[in-house]
Amino acid sequence: MTEIVRGGRPLLVAGLLAGLLVASAALAPLIADARPAREIPVENVENSLADPGADGWGEVPAATVPLASAPSSVPNADDTTVREVEVEAARTDGKLFVRLRWADPSADRSASSPRAFADMAAIQFPVNATTQPAIAMGSERNLVNVWQWSATDTTQELLAGGPGTTTIFEQPAVSTESTRSDVGEGEGWSVVFARDLNASVDNRTALDADADLSVALGIWNGENSERAGQKAVSEWYYFPFGPDDGGAPFQTVLWAIAGAAIALVIVVTALSVRRTNEEGKL
Amino acid sequence: MAHDDVDIAEGVDHQVAMVMDLNKCIGCQTCTVACETLWTEREGTEYMYWNNVETRPGSGYPRDWEEKGGGWESEEHNQRSVGEIPSQQDYGEDWEFDHEGILKEGAEKALEPENVDPEWGPNWDEDQGAGEHPNSYHFYMPRICNHCTHPSCVEACPRKAIYKREEDGVVLVDQERCRGYRYCVEGCPYKKVYYNAVTKRSEKCVFCYPRIEGEGPDDEVHPPACADQCTTQLRLVGYLDDQDGPIYKLVEQYEVALPLHPEYSTSPNVYYIPPTAPPQHSEDGETVDVERIPRSYLEELFGEQVNDALDTIERERAKVERGGHSELMEILQDKNPAQQYRLEVFSDD
Ligand code: SF4
Ligand code: SF4
Repeated sequence: MTEIVRGGRPLLVAGLLAGLLVASAALAPLIADARPAREIPVENVENSLADPGADGWGEVPAATVPLASAPSSVPNADDTTVREVEVEAARTDGKLFVRLRWADPSADRSASSPRAFADMAAIQFPVNATTQPAIAMGSERNLVNVWQWSATDTTQELLAGGPGTTTIFEQPAVSTESTRSDVGEGEGWSVVFARDLNASVDNRTALDADADLSVALGIWNGENSERAGQKAVSEWYYFPFGPDDGGAPFQTVLWAIAGAAIALVIVVTALSVRRTNEEGKL
Repeated sequence: MAHDDVDIAEGVDHQVAMVMDLNKCIGCQTCTVACETLWTEREGTEYMYWNNVETRPGSGYPRDWEEKGGGWESEEHNQRSVGEIPSQQDYGEDWEFDHEGILKEGAEKALEPENVDPEWGPNWDEDQGAGEHPNSYHFYMPRICNHCTHPSCVEACPRKAIYKREEDGVVLVDQERCRGYRYCVEGCPYKKVYYNAVTKRSEKCVFCYPRIEGEGPDDEVHPPACADQCTTQLRLVGYLDDQDGPIYKLVEQYEVALPLHPEYSTSPNVYYIPPTAPPQHSEDGETVDVERIPRSYLEELFGEQVNDALDTIERERAKVERGGHSELMEILQDKNPAQQYRLEVFSDD
């Protein structure tokens, strides 16, 4: 130890310091933002927010989630129009409310002629919250639970184990309410999905587990004949339901690195100061 | 007998098939009504004709269906042509008539559509045909789903909700699996899958499978209703791979029954005996040696094979005229009604 300090090269110390400065600079925005990437915050609230126009939504922080065309073998799979969706989530003692808002100037409310397709939106969860299934409708071993709203005023709860395997829950546990509202520059949809935290049935995602919950989103623009695999989708995001609220593994690692870096800065600085002092004494 | 030299779909035991002799169709639409009454008298099916009879040349039903794409790019069946979904106007909209008021209450008005001002509908161009007097021509063409050997509707469905069933190759939509995506409607080049906007599912001709299975109240096997009810009995029903049956003989042996638009490459199992018509007349009424229905038009519908088919029929007809015997003419003239519907030949399999 003394050896190193004694024979310590000022260059090494300077290099370490410079490196740490760069690392902290890179980490700073994330730390300042205070919200880890891919996290959708969940606000605890007292009252129901089932109404997409409820005042309470004003207090709930929103995450803007980018969307891209889903990889799919259906014709025109690349031709999707919705680029992002605003997501807000709120939780009471018994229920979870998720509000999706996206721009879509034409409201397509019907599928009642051969060429008419309705606007739709869906939220996807892993059935087993501790896993992260294949993003495209899960897989045979790793099922997903999907909540789907359609502008025809229907809500479906689905189970899927890979593309083309969707089956319907006879009794959906999820309910939706929707309205047209201003989203960004123009008109769009505002849809609230609501469900009891507690899952009463097998293959239905439990929302009261004490771990972060992966979630993905999908939007179909009926005007563009979007349906099935022709849809705009997100990557996996997550609701921070885990014990330390914000403890996604990735984020924990970042914080750990940042902590270690700070500690190291302190140690190195202290050492340098002591060394300088010692040198001064000599 | 097995189907050694008959090309039927992989995994299908026997392929059910129909031959329609276009020379006998009088366009009475009895078949359409029979089908309509049996299968499409439900909500959401009002605009659908699983069986329709269209005047050729003409736009057909749905309007200009031949221009809407679908099918396969080639005989290799490795690339589909996507196609489009016809609009409601192309099929024709539901017309409402005041039957009640006019027939029962004696309202003094014309029996005409009340809710729309129609500009198009199924059979809109009935009997119009083509050509100039005195050489104008037209013929009727009944159409159902072809229960194709390489059905592009099946391939188009991302959920495998349409399937070709093993026992007889009938192509069906599983109503439980269908989610109304309509890729099948786009994908069928014959536009023989329809979207039911009430049930939000696709529907199509089922080849009257409960009838051919003998599932009716009398437990007996019946041909599809369109065939059974046809005024002129122009349809033969049986299996393509029944080598003793007339269908096999007409399609495989004599090659006079042809699929419609073979270039779509779906290999239909509904076959047509091409129509012939009296020769043309000159201005002063003399018969001239020119065919009334242009070969080029028939080639458009049935491919180049139509030439050989017509020549064979002509040759066999001449043979009979000379007092000879022709098995082909016998089959076409339907002298053996017991052969017309051969649906029980494989029932011991
Ligand atoms: S005619 Fe069309 S619907 Fe019928 S099997 Fe062929 S492709 Fe499918
Ligand atoms: S019932 Fe027979 S003759 Fe009448 S339109 Fe139909 S196929 Fe033609």
